[in-house]
Amino acid sequence: MTEDIDRETYSAARVRALESLLIEKGIITGETVDKVIEFFERDMGPFNGAKIVAKAWVDPAFKQQLLEDTPSAIAEMNFPRGMAGAEGENMKAVANTPEVHNLIVCTMCSCYPWPVLGLPPYWFKDPTFRARAIREPRKVLQEFGLDIPESKRVDVWDTSAQIRWFVLPERPLETEGWTEDQLAAIVTPEAMQGAAKVVVPA
Amino acid sequence: MKIQHHLGGIEGLEPSSFEKRVFVQPWEERIFGIHVAMMGLSDHLEAVKTVPTQFKSFWTWGHLRKGAEGLNPFDYFKYRYYEKWLGGISGFFVESGYLSKEELDSQTTVYLENLDVPLPSGGEPGIDEQVMEYLRVGDSPKCDVAIQPKFKLGDVVTVRNPPPVEHCKLPGYLRTQKGVVKEVYEGTYSYYFPTGDGVGDPMPIYNVKFDSHDIWGNLTEPQTWIYVQIFEAYLEDPA
Repeated sequence: MTEDIDRETYSAARVRALESLLIEKGIITGETVDKVIEFFERDMGPFNGAKIVAKAWVDPAFKQQLLEDTPSAIAEMNFPRGMAGAEGENMKAVANTPEVHNLIVCTMCSCYPWPVLGLPPYWFKDPTFRARAIREPRKVLQEFGLDIPESKRVDVWDTSAQIRWFVLPERPLETEGWTEDQLAAIVTPEAMQGAAKVVVPA
Repeated sequence: MKIQHHLGGIEGLEPSSFEKRVFVQPWEERIFGIHVAMMGLSDHLEAVKTVPTQFKSFWTWGHLRKGAEGLNPFDYFKYRYYEKWLGGISGFFVESGYLSKEELDSQTTVYLENLDVPLPSGGEPGIDEQVMEYLRVGDSPKCDVAIQPKFKLGDVVTVRNPPPVEHCKLPGYLRTQKGVVKEVYEGTYSYYFPTGDGVGDPMPIYNVKFDSHDIWGNLTEPQTWIYVQIFEAYLEDPA
């Protein structure tokens, strides 16, 4: 890499070179990478998790099943095939309550529940977040705009083996009477990782 | 000591960015797609035996992580997430003999001169079918092997301190710490390959709860608990 080519320009050319050679040599096809990207735009993303949260908020029996046997609860919903697929083989939900706030981290890499939340955002993959969240979760959350007092218990889940955690956030009080679709529309990926609370937009 | 295995708890770092995008550059999507394709076409998968791909290698998350953990630790922090993937994966293809460094360099020059030169098109549809099927079916570490767990719910356990290896599943901050078993996961679990520090063959996994104070004393916050899923090989009875 010469000094006058910037880092991003170089990487863009490098990855395109790699992809073109892999296609030429019959390792992948001219469409493989596009199809993978489309899968996460269309089928597997936080829009799935938002629906799961909304249903758990309106249906107490579903919520209980979600917390006790996450895969079976998800299987009952009408999602595209693959909710127990790549990075979803062993998913588990934990609930935020008035007593406990949950935060998910992967200190070793960036394990993430793909079928429910899609692909991990940059902050979750960031070594700074991974290093700090496990030791000073409230300080990190405060930097993210969320204040959790020291008097409230925080449980930090380090995704170090087979489980892929996500958080069932608390339902905002002002959403009484809302439909599941309306509720799902305000659930963010950050809230489903414990990095934010769900709020009703102003 | 491999610093990449000891990230949890490092002090003196700057505030975390709250960048919510998955990819911050368009090129990052491409290396992500390539890694997924490699995992979907890995030769350890039964379904791949009948797929007409020229990829004839074993490739999993374990391989990607091992590569990243093998970097100079200061480079690990210097390079961005997908830069590490690009370096590791291109290195893998060159070292495995699929392409030469000269080919990769000269093709890179082509795209440096004009990024819009089209990619080749076509290829065997069976390749894409398998990659998509892999995404929908996954590759679970859960095994049929039945093994009696050594520990039970409520047991106090000590985390072992095995010698460092190239790639492991033990967060460094847990070494020698005591925790309580909060769940014994049903079944047994393997890892993609033996890590050299005990993990690999099917074994139970436990959800173990730790008091953050026990690990970091005053350098952590009150009322903070840590739950970690730990392979049995990393646990022992307290002395």
